[in-house]
Amino acid sequence: MLKSWKLKEVVLLSVFAVVFAVVYLLFVHVGNIWAGVIGPIAYEWMFGIWFIVSIISAYIIRKPGAALLSETMAAIIEVMIGNAVGPRLILSGIVQGLGAEAAFAATGYKRYDWWVLCLAGIGSAVFSFAYGFFVSGYAALDPSLLAWMFTLRVISGAVIAGLGGKYLSDGLLASGALRGYAISQDSIKHRQVKGEILE
Amino acid sequence: MPIKMWLHDMNPSMKFIVVIVSMLTLAWFFNPWTPFLFFIGIILFQAVFSQLNWRLWGLLMIPIAFTAIGYLWTTIVFAADTSGEILFSWNGWTVTDQQWETSLSLAFRVFAFSAMSFMFALTTDPVKFVMSLMQQLRLSPKLAYGVMVGYQFLPVVKEEFTQIRHSHRLRGIGAEKQKWKRIVGIKRLVIPLLSSAVRRAERAAFAMEARGFTGEKREVFYEPISLNIRDGLLSVLLLILLIGCCLAGWRLS
Amino acid sequence: MSNSIIDFNEVSFRFPEDLTPIFTGVSFSIDAGERIVLFGPSGCGKSTLLHLMNRLYPSNCDGILDGSITLFHKDAVSFKPGEINQKIATVFQDPESQFCMPTVEQEMAFTLENFGHISRLEMESRITNTLSTLGLTHLRKATIQTLSGGMKQRVATACALLMEPEVLLLDEPLAHLDPLTARQYVEWLNELQVSKSMTIVVVEHRLDLWGTFFTRAIHVSGSFLTEDNPVSSAVAFPKRSSSMEEEVIFEAHQISISINNQRLLQNISMQLHRGEIAVLAGPNGCGKSTFLKTICGIYNKSEGSINCVGHLPGYVPQSPEHLFVTQRVSDEIRFSNHSSNEQISDIMERLLLDEIQDAHPFSVSHGQKRRVVIGAMLADQRPVLLLDEPTSGQDESALLELFYLLDLQAKEGISILIVTHDMSFAKAIADTIYLMKDGELTGRFDTYHFWNQTALLSDHQLVAPVGDYSYAY
Repeated sequence: MLKSWKLKEVVLLSVFAVVFAVVYLLFVHVGNIWAGVIGPIAYEWMFGIWFIVSIISAYIIRKPGAALLSETMAAIIEVMIGNAVGPRLILSGIVQGLGAEAAFAATGYKRYDWWVLCLAGIGSAVFSFAYGFFVSGYAALDPSLLAWMFTLRVISGAVIAGLGGKYLSDGLLASGALRGYAISQDSIKHRQVKGEILE
Repeated sequence: MPIKMWLHDMNPSMKFIVVIVSMLTLAWFFNPWTPFLFFIGIILFQAVFSQLNWRLWGLLMIPIAFTAIGYLWTTIVFAADTSGEILFSWNGWTVTDQQWETSLSLAFRVFAFSAMSFMFALTTDPVKFVMSLMQQLRLSPKLAYGVMVGYQFLPVVKEEFTQIRHSHRLRGIGAEKQKWKRIVGIKRLVIPLLSSAVRRAERAAFAMEARGFTGEKREVFYEPISLNIRDGLLSVLLLILLIGCCLAGWRLS
Repeated sequence: MSNSIIDFNEVSFRFPEDLTPIFTGVSFSIDAGERIVLFGPSGCGKSTLLHLMNRLYPSNCDGILDGSITLFHKDAVSFKPGEINQKIATVFQDPESQFCMPTVEQEMAFTLENFGHISRLEMESRITNTLSTLGLTHLRKATIQTLSGGMKQRVATACALLMEPEVLLLDEPLAHLDPLTARQYVEWLNELQVSKSMTIVVVEHRLDLWGTFFTRAIHVSGSFLTEDNPVSSAVAFPKRSSSMEEEVIFEAHQISISINNQRLLQNISMQLHRGEIAVLAGPNGCGKSTFLKTICGIYNKSEGSINCVGHLPGYVPQSPEHLFVTQRVSDEIRFSNHSSNEQISDIMERLLLDEIQDAHPFSVSHGQKRRVVIGAMLADQRPVLLLDEPTSGQDESALLELFYLLDLQAKEGISILIVTHDMSFAKAIADTIYLMKDGELTGRFDTYHFWNQTALLSDHQLVAPVGDYSYAY
């Protein structure tokens, strides 16, 4: 799988992961230990933030494995930085990455419309919920609460990771920074096709 | 080597695997004793085999305690299994012994998992960890060194983040109190960070390739990460602790 | 057989996104032992040439290549990935993005491991030898992140030389260094070339810091003319007449600031007159940027007082894009809503922003980005502009553009304070020079009595401007 990847693409995944780690560390997380007391539901609505790296990466690089690799690398970097969740984060990273990857694979890595990105976010949400069900012992919780948690996480995956990821990537594309990556080549082709129709 | 250095010197991949195996095993147990005993066991294990800064460890445990309390009440209030003897009731709410045990178990699970994480984090050098993933667990050099570059950029990205926030302050933004506004405002912060990330990634990748990096498997390592008898011994001890806790928990409940 | 080791024959190159090639029909050859500079303005394709020599292109960008490139008498296509890099090594411009390992020794080991089949003992001795030849032995265990930019460039050079290459390529290696550090690096490289007698190819847009280093220059823009023993000339700035008026519009009095219990600034007082252009210079880390950020209100926990006519000063960071918060240039100017529509259109016109008003602020050129930021600051009604290192990494035409831009603003009655290491630029533009060291102001000079004080300059790690810097004197 890695053979077709340029080094600059692999490094890009890694630096993106660092950017989001820093933003999360310095911006989102500040003064949030009280949220822990509220219990597992507290973070559910913003769970999508964890999936956003894989969606952005896949949307920009458009190669098989982008979602999985980026989420895995992001998890390794989080562990290196000293995330309190520790080594098991790598496992959950792989699981989440697989969830998003599944959605892209299902479209044959050909479509990157907004709904595919939402599906990828939902994929991550579903996979990560299944993983949490096992590891965090959600089995002991009331099914109606679980249904709520699951719904919140799916919505968060679709909206924050899917739409949010598209919003950020499109902003980045508009800034002209992505020259030389698949997303901007595709958007040029897209424009050329449109142009021909108009003419 | 002094015994207090053993955990610090343990092969990171081996440590990683033991932690993951322990975690996946503990996930099957819903009695309070297994995670509780394992938590105590890990603390003792660290006391014997590592040089630990207990003050730091205590500080790190504070937010974990909050999370554990969160799990405790959530599991009590929203228990799936409400069978068993009623322990106490209040305003129509009842708590059975089954409910109480499961809740305690999940709370202790939070502590046990975190103790393992801290054992790993406080005794493992991050760079050696990645090098070991490459040398022992066959992680592709492309990924391993890709991760290393990102890690080297961490202080640079932090600095740039600060610079951007400073500049934004000049334009009167960035002081929003509400969380949702902060989340929507992330775009302004993230786009410049990402766009310089794209530039840096390409430069770093070119610098590596210009020095002959092809991403192929490597044959000789300048700093090989060792894997020896002592790693095996520590792993076996940890696994005995794990099995012991599982059996004890099963007998005690 | 000829002595040439790099031959370009009728080479054209096009990026897949572009419709036209970046250059066509390029032919030149480089002999062993030469010191060549590929010279030209930013964006002329000289870095692309370099990437074609070390085989990063065409594969890395899927570029379309025509013509033939011969390296060491072999077709460039016939080299396996990584193979040519044992003979042709490269040092890049950005000291921050060239390393993947924490320490110097580990970074060097990474390079040696890349080539395979080198035993650990051999690695050990190569690292030791390279470091001692380059005089860097003391840095062996140093953490790269903690080194200065100049030292990072030396470490990058050390990594490049580990394989004992025949050719050393350097891509604007001085761009991110201050002039003194840059000059020291050039001297160091000179000794190195003499002792190792290798071929050196440098891509560069400014020759003034290189002295007589090069034996030959190839002018990349235009027709690839070759010039032997190029003489470095300083940027020729026009003569400027001061627009400084009597009225004081900004006054900082006894400013001190501590951040995290560290005293960064100590009792700094400064006055700026309407239309004055002042330069603030001093060693890296002496508190220049902190001072700018304090007086424009980014750091607000300072002691002392600031008196300013109207709003606080405006700040132009070294990376102008850090200030951008919208998607369009015109929105950027309008963002704070402090100016009327007439004032806005006046600013847009004066700063030539009309033609790019619908563009994304990130996608315009560096000079345009700076004009957008200045426009935004003027629209905020800020009477003083503070510029942080605007000269770093700029080529000649960019420096001239900056010169004219600032001169024009000063004539409109804006006061300007510039932090820079570039004393040629300072000499051309400044009415006043402030020197700073260890968080304190060490002097205020008007420009006529300043430039011959060599001891004072070197004490502040500055290089006196050389040569004929102004054609109208």
